[in-house]
Amino acid sequence: MSVRNYLRPERLPTYWCPGCGDGLVITSMAEVFEELHCDEKNTVLVSGIGCAARAPGYFTLESVHGLHGRAVPIAEGIKIVRPELNVVIISGDGDLLGIGLNHLIHASRRDTDIKVICIDNQIYGMTGGQKSPTTALGVKTLTSPEGNTDRPVDCQALIKAHNSFYARATTFHLPLLKKAIRAAMEHRGFAMVDVRSQCPVNYGRRLGYRNAYEMLMHFKQHYKPVKGVVDRLAHDEIGITSENPKSQIQNPNSA
Amino acid sequence: MTHKLILQGNDAVALGAVKAGLRFFAGYPITPASEILHKLVEFPEVKVLQMEDEIASINACVGASLAGAKAMTATSGPGFSLMQEGIGLAHMVEAPLVVVNVQRVGPSTGMPTFGSQGDLLQCRYGSHGDYFSIVFYPNSVSELYRYTMEAMNAAEESLSPVILLSDGIIGHLSETAELEDVTIKERSLKPLGHGNRHFTSLTHTGSYPKATAPSAHQELIAGLAKKTADVARRYVRYEYLPVKGSHTLLIAFGAVSRAAYHFKDHFSIFRPVRIFPMIEDLKEIARRYKTVIVMEMNAGQYTLLVEALLHRPVGFIPLLGGAINLEYIKERIKKCLSGTT
Repeated sequence: MSVRNYLRPERLPTYWCPGCGDGLVITSMAEVFEELHCDEKNTVLVSGIGCAARAPGYFTLESVHGLHGRAVPIAEGIKIVRPELNVVIISGDGDLLGIGLNHLIHASRRDTDIKVICIDNQIYGMTGGQKSPTTALGVKTLTSPEGNTDRPVDCQALIKAHNSFYARATTFHLPLLKKAIRAAMEHRGFAMVDVRSQCPVNYGRRLGYRNAYEMLMHFKQHYKPVKGVVDRLAHDEIGITSENPKSQIQNPNSA
Repeated sequence: MTHKLILQGNDAVALGAVKAGLRFFAGYPITPASEILHKLVEFPEVKVLQMEDEIASINACVGASLAGAKAMTATSGPGFSLMQEGIGLAHMVEAPLVVVNVQRVGPSTGMPTFGSQGDLLQCRYGSHGDYFSIVFYPNSVSELYRYTMEAMNAAEESLSPVILLSDGIIGHLSETAELEDVTIKERSLKPLGHGNRHFTSLTHTGSYPKATAPSAHQELIAGLAKKTADVARRYVRYEYLPVKGSHTLLIAFGAVSRAAYHFKDHFSIFRPVRIFPMIEDLKEIARRYKTVIVMEMNAGQYTLLVEALLHRPVGFIPLLGGAINLEYIKERIKKCLSGTT
């Protein structure tokens, strides 16, 4: 299958605003799917609700577009019943790290073999630009007009707490994004790819970015790709973190 | 084949589900429904997940069902409230599954160890939007076994979530049960990984979201309504015990119907088992009686719907706080008959 065969041209143009990062992520996903010979018989996509969660509808692969925040349990149900399927979630930060954070932590704890691609644009874009669980401190949004006072969710810390796979990329660093998605797909067990993406309309516009290009340039300047595999990424680093041996998880009640 | 044994109601639900081909169960511990989860972990053919909450449980069931497994979850009132959005999702993506609700006294945490019938309207109207769940409410351990299988069959036929109501009284009741098998319906829906389908919670036509087309939504809802009504017609399940000379019809279901049997020599009794959609025959049956009285363990939920169905006022006996007291019921029947409720 070529990359084009993974997408449904009859549904174009997409529902997303001009300049949105979601298209870059689904293209990268399709490229990885092609490399790994994913097809409609071995791969299923799952999403919750939000802009990013509309992505599965543009793929030719079979998919489930469920409830807000509940992509993870749907994916777990599929994977438990059909272990031979690649089950890939694509959803946003509000969906996975806000309303659905509980499920994400538990799935990583259970090490269910599902892949989570989180398109993190740091805002609730679909509903008009409210602060999200990953909005940085001080950032002005519709619901934080004086600047956000809530500390952003430390996704890496939550996922690494159970020694699960975690990688971070941005929509500017596309080769790294592809590498991270591929590494997640090839990992056996729970894997999370945290993709920093741009929302020029409901986020960047209110912060003085004139267009998506300026936001991508910000990613270029702010995020530093790390070489090789590291234990942990600093807040301004992107790359793939190491899988710690599962045996490091101690049972506090064991004799 | 039929065989007899002493069994608890919740265990009977688990056994019936396994017999009907259950392959996936996701649940969260809750009194008085936990025994269903306990029993099912004994069966290697059923993949049992203890999830982080009831929201995860119902959603995992939707995923498992679309992936090809017969799926079920079991809970009580508080968990059933959390599952409402997921029940709507299962209707929207047409995922066959069974939700068991072993009712306890609510609202909120209420009286966890006491049975109740407070979730009837929640079964019918709990999720937002228009949908039409098929709901069964048996009244004995034998029936819990049988109707778990029937619920799973109805789910497969209607490609929708079917609700099996129980209550803390019959769920925790141990009695001699006759396990009678029914013919099992096989899965008709192709599992995930067989095409290019997009199952979406948005209003849709086939695999295509149509979230801004009123006509698409009207068609979708009409389709769901017709589909569940057609299947429900194959499950007209009720018990009618007429008494010669009685001008009074007692309506009861679940645990309360067992108390109603005490009055079966004096009053006719109607017990709906498929409580939703409501049994149409009740219209004809009720015409034969001067007085219709509903007794139920809530503040008048089914009474409201019986009145709407019959277009006439009906008497009502509320049994609240988990108590079923025959003397009290007798008093209330007398009051209903003298017209001073």
